[in-house]
Amino acid sequence: MGFTSKNKPEAFSLTQPSKIEKFIPYFLIAPALSYLLFFIGYPLAQAVVLAFTDSSGHFTLAHIKYLLYSPESMFYTAFKDTLALAAVIIPIQVMLALGFSLLLSTNFKGREFALYAFVLPLTISDVAGGLIWYTMLSTNGFFNKMLMAAGIIASPIQFFGYQYRYMEFLAIVIAEVWRATAIVFVIIFAGLQMISKDYIEAAEVFGAGTWEKLRHIIFPMLKPSLQAALIIRTLFAFQVFGVVWVLAGRDIPVLAGEAYYEQTELYHYGVAALYALIIAALSVAVGYIYIKMFRAQYLEVGR
Amino acid sequence: MGKTKRILRYAVSKAAVIAAIVIIIAIIAGVAYYLTTMHKGPTKIIWASTQLCPPEEQQFVKGTLLAQFTKETGIKVEFVAMSYSDLATRLSSEEKAGKVTIDVIGDLHGGLDLYASKGYLMDLSQFGTLSGRTFPKVLMNYAHMHGILAYIPWMTATYVMVINKKAFDYLPPGLTKEDVIKGTDKWTYDALLAWAKNLYEKTGKKLLGFPAGPHGLFVRFLHGYLYPAFTGAQVKNFNSPDAVKMWQYLKKLWQYVNPASTTWDAMADPLLKGEVWIAWDHTARIKDAIVNKPDQFVVVPVPIGPKGRGFILVVAGLAIPKGAPNPKAAWKLIDYLTKPSTQIEVLKKTGFFPTVQEASQAIPSGPLKVLAVGVNAQISAPHALVAMIPSLGAKGGDFKSIYLTAFKRIVLQNEDIQKVLSDLGPKLLNLFKEVGAPLPPPDSG
Repeated sequence: MGFTSKNKPEAFSLTQPSKIEKFIPYFLIAPALSYLLFFIGYPLAQAVVLAFTDSSGHFTLAHIKYLLYSPESMFYTAFKDTLALAAVIIPIQVMLALGFSLLLSTNFKGREFALYAFVLPLTISDVAGGLIWYTMLSTNGFFNKMLMAAGIIASPIQFFGYQYRYMEFLAIVIAEVWRATAIVFVIIFAGLQMISKDYIEAAEVFGAGTWEKLRHIIFPMLKPSLQAALIIRTLFAFQVFGVVWVLAGRDIPVLAGEAYYEQTELYHYGVAALYALIIAALSVAVGYIYIKMFRAQYLEVGR
Repeated sequence: MGKTKRILRYAVSKAAVIAAIVIIIAIIAGVAYYLTTMHKGPTKIIWASTQLCPPEEQQFVKGTLLAQFTKETGIKVEFVAMSYSDLATRLSSEEKAGKVTIDVIGDLHGGLDLYASKGYLMDLSQFGTLSGRTFPKVLMNYAHMHGILAYIPWMTATYVMVINKKAFDYLPPGLTKEDVIKGTDKWTYDALLAWAKNLYEKTGKKLLGFPAGPHGLFVRFLHGYLYPAFTGAQVKNFNSPDAVKMWQYLKKLWQYVNPASTTWDAMADPLLKGEVWIAWDHTARIKDAIVNKPDQFVVVPVPIGPKGRGFILVVAGLAIPKGAPNPKAAWKLIDYLTKPSTQIEVLKKTGFFPTVQEASQAIPSGPLKVLAVGVNAQISAPHALVAMIPSLGAKGGDFKSIYLTAFKRIVLQNEDIQKVLSDLGPKLLNLFKEVGAPLPPPDSG
C-alpha cells in the first residue's frame, strides 16, 4: 500500500482496491483455516474440555489425580517407557540411516536392489510389522526354529510375556528399527544427494581425508536434513503404539497405548484426553527444541 | 494504459474476493445441509445393541439378518452398535427427557437388570407368548425381574476350556479323559495345576494359556470363574480368607502358564500354533481354532473349586424401552430374532448360542457341534455356580481394572496378597454403591 500511494499520487480508485487487497490473503486462506479449525482446533478444544470436566459437565481435577496418583494408572511407567524406547531407537536409526546413506551414495553393483530392499518395510503398516515380528520371534517361530536347528540353543528363547519385559523391549527395538529406519534414511539420503560434489573435490584437493570430509563438509551440510529426520522420527516415537501393542500388550505401557486402553477398556474418556494432550505438548516441545538447537548451529556454519 | 491495468487489477481482486466468499458460503451451506439431512429420512425403528458390534458381525446383521426381516415385514430397522456406557448414557437421558427414540435394546443381562431396576423397560408379558419356541426355564427366570418380564432371552455365550487332544497323554495320576470331558468331581482346579505341572515337566513347555493381553477376557476368569469357585461369590468375598487361598493357588498355577499369555487377546491363534494345549477363553474367540481343526480339539467344562463350578453365563436379551415410538414393530423384530432358524444363522456367523431349545437341538454336526457339546456339558455339569457379568455402565471399566490390578500386583509383581486385597476391596464395593447397581449372581441369590 505504501509503495503504490507514494508513486501514484492520484489515489481516487486506489484506496478502495488496496484495502480489499489487504484482506485477499485472509480470504484465500480462509478455507484452509476453517478446515484446520474444524478438524484440529475443535477436537483439541474438546480434548481440553473432556480432560477437565466430569460426566455431568462440571470442572474437575479428578482425571489428573487419577492419572498421577491412582495405583491403577500406569502413567509414570508409560512416560518412562516411551522415553526409553525413543532414546534407544532413534540413535540406532539415525546411525544406521547415515551409514546406509553414505554407503549407497557410492557406486557398486546391486546398489539399486539394496536401496529398494531397505525402503521396502516403509510400505508395511506398523501393526502388520509388529505381527510379522511377533510370529518370527514367538517360541514356535522362525527365529527360534532356526537357532534350534543350527544347534545354537537347546530350548526356545522366550521373547514375550510380563516376566520377559526386557526381551519384549528388545523385540520392539528390532521391529521399530526394521520398520521405521527407512523414513530417516529417505530424508538423509535425499539430503546427501543435494550436497554438491564440488565441495568434496575441493576438500580433496587440499588433502582432506575421509573423516575430515565427513566432519567438516558432509555433516554440516546434512544438518537441515538431519533436523527434519529427527523431528519426524521423534514425533513418531511419542506416538508409538501399534508395534508395542502387538508385541508387548501393556507389559511395556506407552503413552498412546495407555490413552487407547483408558478410552476403550476402562471408559475413562477424560484420562484418555489427558494422555492425548500430554503427547501433543511433548511433540510441540520437542519440535521447538530441535528447531532452536539446529538453527543456531546452522547460522554459525553460514557465518 | 496504467489506468486500465489498475482497473483490471481491481476487477481481478474483486472477483477473487467474491470467489472466496462464495466458496466459504458453499462450504458452510454444504455442512449445514449434511447435518440437517442426517436426521431426516424414512421412518424406521431403531435397534440399539451392545452385542454383534464388531464390523463383520454388523455387516451380517445389516446385510443378511435385517434385510431378510425387512423383506418379510416391510419394517426398516436401523441397527445402532453402541458401547455399554454409551447405551447407558443415551437411554437414561432419553428416558429422563421423556423423548425416547430407541425401539429395541439388545444388551447383556446385567445392563437390562440395571435399566429394569430404574423402570426404563416395558413389561413384555403384555405382548403375549412367542409361538413355536421354548425358552429354558433358567433363562426365563433371569428375564423376570423387578416385577416384570424385562427382556426376551436372545443369545447366550460362555467361556470354556479347550484341550488339544495331545495333552490327554500327559494327564496327572488319578485324572482320566472322561473326568475332564464330562466335568466330574475329580476335574478340580488342583487337578488342572497337577496337569499343567506334568506337561511342563514332561515336555519342557508351559502349555497352559490365558488371554491376559490388553483386550483379552482374562478378567472374566478372575471374577466369574476363580472367585465363585473359591469364595462362592464374585464381589462380596473379594477380600476374604478364601480369596487369599485363591490368589495363592493362582500364583502356583502361573508358574506353569505360558508367560506370553500377557500379550494374547484371543486363544484361537496360540491353540492353532501349538503354543498352548490347554486354554480358557470366550466361545467366540476359540471358534476359529475349532472350525480350522475340529478333530484336534475338545471343548470341556471348567474345573471345579472348593465352592463349586463357577462359570459365567452370558445372556443377551432383547427389551423394549418405555415410551418407544413403535412398540408393535419392535415386538415383531424380537419375534423374528428368536425364531429357531434365525438363531442357528446367528450361531453360524457369530458363535453366540441359541436361547431357544428347538434351535439348540437342530445344530448341524461339525465344528459348531463340538463347541455346543462342550458348552452343554459345562451348563449341565454338577455343582454349577452361575455368574452373571454385572452392569455398571461407565464404571464397568473400573470394575475390570480392580481385578486386573490385583492380578498384576499379586501374581506378576509378587506383592503381599492381603495388602493388595485390603487396598482394592473397598473400591470395588464402592463402585456398586455409586452406580446403585445390585450385586450380580451368585452374590445376590
